[in-house]
Amino acid sequence: MWWYSFISTAQTQPVCRYHLQGLVQRTDGLPIPEASIWIEEIHRNIQTDSTGHFTCTDLCQGIYTLRCQFMGYQPVIRKVIIPFSSLLSIQMVSQATDLKAVTIIQHRYEGQQLLQVQAELSGQGMDESRGQSLGESLKALTGMYSIQTGPSISKPVIHGLHSNRILILTNGVRQEGQQWGSEHAPEIDAFLASQITVIKGAASIRYGSDAIGGVILLEPKNMPTQPGIGGEAYVAGASNGRMGVVSGMLEGVPSRWIQGLSWRIQGTLKKSGYIQTPRYYLENTSYQERNFSGDVHYDRKNAGLEVFYSRFATKIGLFTEAQIGSLSDLYAAIHRSEPLVQPRFSYELNRPYQDIQHDLVKLRTYVRSERLGTFTATLARQQNLRQEYDYVSFSGSLNPELYLKLITHTADLIWEKSKNATSGQWSSTAGFTGFTQGNVRKYLFLIPNFRTYTGGVFALERFSRKQWSAEMGLRYDYRWLRAYFLDEPTNTIYYKTHNWSNTNASLGISYQLRPNLDLTTNVSTAWRAPNVAELYSNGLHQSAVAYEHGNANLRPEQAYNASIALHYSHQSFTAELGLYSNLISNYIYLNPDSLPLVRQRGVFPSYSYNQVRATFKGVDLTFSYAFTTHLSFTSKTSLLYAYDHTNQDYLVFITPNRTDNSITYTLKDWKKMTRTYLKISGLYVARQTRAPTVTSRLENGHFVYTGDFASPPPGYFLFGAEMATTLALAKQSIGIILSGTNLTNVVYRDYLNRFRYFAAEPGRSINLKIKIPF
Amino acid sequence: MTMKRILSVLGFLSVFFLVSCNKEEQSVAPTIDNEALTTATLQLTNKANPTEVVTATVDGLNGTVDFSKDTLRLKANASYSGVILLLDKTSSPVADVSAEIKERQNIHLFVYTPASGLNMAVTITDKDTNPAPGPYPVGLTYDVRTGAASTGKLHVVLRHQPNTKDGTATPGSSDLDTNFDVVIQ
Repeated sequence: MWWYSFISTAQTQPVCRYHLQGLVQRTDGLPIPEASIWIEEIHRNIQTDSTGHFTCTDLCQGIYTLRCQFMGYQPVIRKVIIPFSSLLSIQMVSQATDLKAVTIIQHRYEGQQLLQVQAELSGQGMDESRGQSLGESLKALTGMYSIQTGPSISKPVIHGLHSNRILILTNGVRQEGQQWGSEHAPEIDAFLASQITVIKGAASIRYGSDAIGGVILLEPKNMPTQPGIGGEAYVAGASNGRMGVVSGMLEGVPSRWIQGLSWRIQGTLKKSGYIQTPRYYLENTSYQERNFSGDVHYDRKNAGLEVFYSRFATKIGLFTEAQIGSLSDLYAAIHRSEPLVQPRFSYELNRPYQDIQHDLVKLRTYVRSERLGTFTATLARQQNLRQEYDYVSFSGSLNPELYLKLITHTADLIWEKSKNATSGQWSSTAGFTGFTQGNVRKYLFLIPNFRTYTGGVFALERFSRKQWSAEMGLRYDYRWLRAYFLDEPTNTIYYKTHNWSNTNASLGISYQLRPNLDLTTNVSTAWRAPNVAELYSNGLHQSAVAYEHGNANLRPEQAYNASIALHYSHQSFTAELGLYSNLISNYIYLNPDSLPLVRQRGVFPSYSYNQVRATFKGVDLTFSYAFTTHLSFTSKTSLLYAYDHTNQDYLVFITPNRTDNSITYTLKDWKKMTRTYLKISGLYVARQTRAPTVTSRLENGHFVYTGDFASPPPGYFLFGAEMATTLALAKQSIGIILSGTNLTNVVYRDYLNRFRYFAAEPGRSINLKIKIPF
Repeated sequence: MTMKRILSVLGFLSVFFLVSCNKEEQSVAPTIDNEALTTATLQLTNKANPTEVVTATVDGLNGTVDFSKDTLRLKANASYSGVILLLDKTSSPVADVSAEIKERQNIHLFVYTPASGLNMAVTITDKDTNPAPGPYPVGLTYDVRTGAASTGKLHVVLRHQPNTKDGTATPGSSDLDTNFDVVIQ
């Protein structure tokens, strides 16, 4: 009854109870207190508080013009469409600064340039995820999931695709590690990014082959422009694992020396002990991370140069009881309800573990010209050193079982130009991207040494006119691969060479049906050459309990991707509905062989890489409704249906359907506490019913499995809560977030955790995150 | 001027990048398994006649397994004392894995299981030095008693049980899991 009357009121008269919250900052991120904001349409003047924040209440739906002024700064005029749900950020430029130099620095986030379905994590959403790994933090977005190997290794999954089928670009450089392995997490310090954009669906044209599933762009904060030194410190802790992380960033612009110079240094230390499930600790699930980076920019009026270095180093313990000898050990482990060894809490980290170091040096330069457009050249060198130490039983060996050193050199040259004509706005992008990679292995054989050369050229043209925008793209790629082998009896080295090339295209259209309803649709193709693991792996993958055989005859995967997104926003209701369909021909997967393999430790299932025609179709739905200015409800649902058309069966390890719903209550500002809110959330993950049938039987004294080793686990519901506020202390505004995950301490297992056969997921954790800008 | 400077820096650095590409991947390192176990031999001595020694060997355990010499021919109603010898022939010199197991006896256990129908009993004779409630059996040495003439398989498993050894086969994981053919006549 109340509901009905509420709606009828909303329809009969315009509701003028929206509010707009904003933050006025200097270009270096420091807040500007007492800046004045004049709202033209309603002739109202407001001032920012000591933390640079302002709130304007009782606004009606519509467009408002804001004029922001402060002594010594150039006034800023902004048009805002109300309702405006996020925090409006206004940057003010000092009058002393050359205006042109500033426009160069104020780059748009890269992903915004593409007409594709995307989601992003920034601002408060980013702060909420601080301290988590990249894979875990992206789970907050619809259509995203993560594939895990125990609690310490997590890889992002976009629309059911992961590893080599998605691209990760950090700071504009294609991240290259041994990403073919599902237990090889991205070697990235998430604290480096101030915004993470996920492009859902094939985005190969701009970013290169392999992006069949999508692209993840991590972008840092803009460099400071005002003389002086500033920074940010993050401190976070979690009760589960007794995890602690500190991350600090210091940046500045020298007041003398060379004009246009800016610098930033950043570092993160992280340590966690054994993770606790509701009933027991998981032995050896500790991990540590030590990362640092440095960035120097030199920006002139029409050109600039940037040098960036980062190191990511981690040591990750793997759950001891998941290290099993053979299929019969696995059988015993699956049929135990709990691990045999249930130790006390410890920070100890022993074999089995992974030790990874990733170093990146990047050099970027750009030149701008009104007539010719902007040219950007980026060169980068990455070295990924991965050493995996298995359990040793009798040898007492100190050596790793697996040693892989991958060195990647990337070079990109991009040209961009925009033109405003009477017909509409044109923007063109074209470029060349290339990389070469060399891999060196030692100890056990899993993948061979190899060298690749890859080159691609692309062009993207975008045209916008009135409510229409259209974008077309074309790309050609070439890849050459040579794998080197040693014939041990004769001690001779031999090699095998492959080359592939492919042309792909994309078309995107966006149309504003009504002022509050947008439609974006995209059709694109993408391809991926088989990686060296798929071609030549030949060895026992201990953590996967499988002997994997490569298939040198694999053809490239070809994807045909279509997506459509509707975005609606009306008064206090906003919604986004995305539908997608991805058809992949020659989809590469591991096919179980009919006979298991016998080795010293017993019997292992044997797998060979094979290709099928697969489809991934799904729905992403997000909506939020503000009941009042204080109370709002947000719902995020992701559904995915994947199918193997060749074998007429389901695919294994496909993201289950899930829905994440939350209610947020925003409190009024009180004394020095601003932007205070309480949030409770419930996450429901359904059982994956669309999975191959699992059978196990005893044959000649050996266990033989088909489909998987165990059926998908039941669905689960997790309850979480969060409290956050911003405290104005002295000149700092300190952000505090206290959150609890799995508050009811539910015992559950997740289908996409490769250790689900052995143990339950983590139990309750209370987490505290503090952000101190200075 | 500025442009020129930037371009020259860029040119210099790109040369540096290209030079730093070496051809390290073209020299391939041999495969080394820290924990290879290639050969398992059972060696049994007839207690009534110490000159009568029978052996059976399973070879090539780390790759294609060779079962051609895996048959243990024993006398009916006899008593033997046995040892198990494990070798890693991939390392040079050949490593004596059974000696390494002896050094780490507190975390290892051999489990000998004759198939049903095979008339033999295996009793482990050595003990580790685990504190109470230990010591527990190890299984590098054992006694075998045979019954009436029969044939069948003897299943031999080496369990690795760090911090969990309790005298049973359940904890830990397998380092060796193989079968020998036994003929009692």
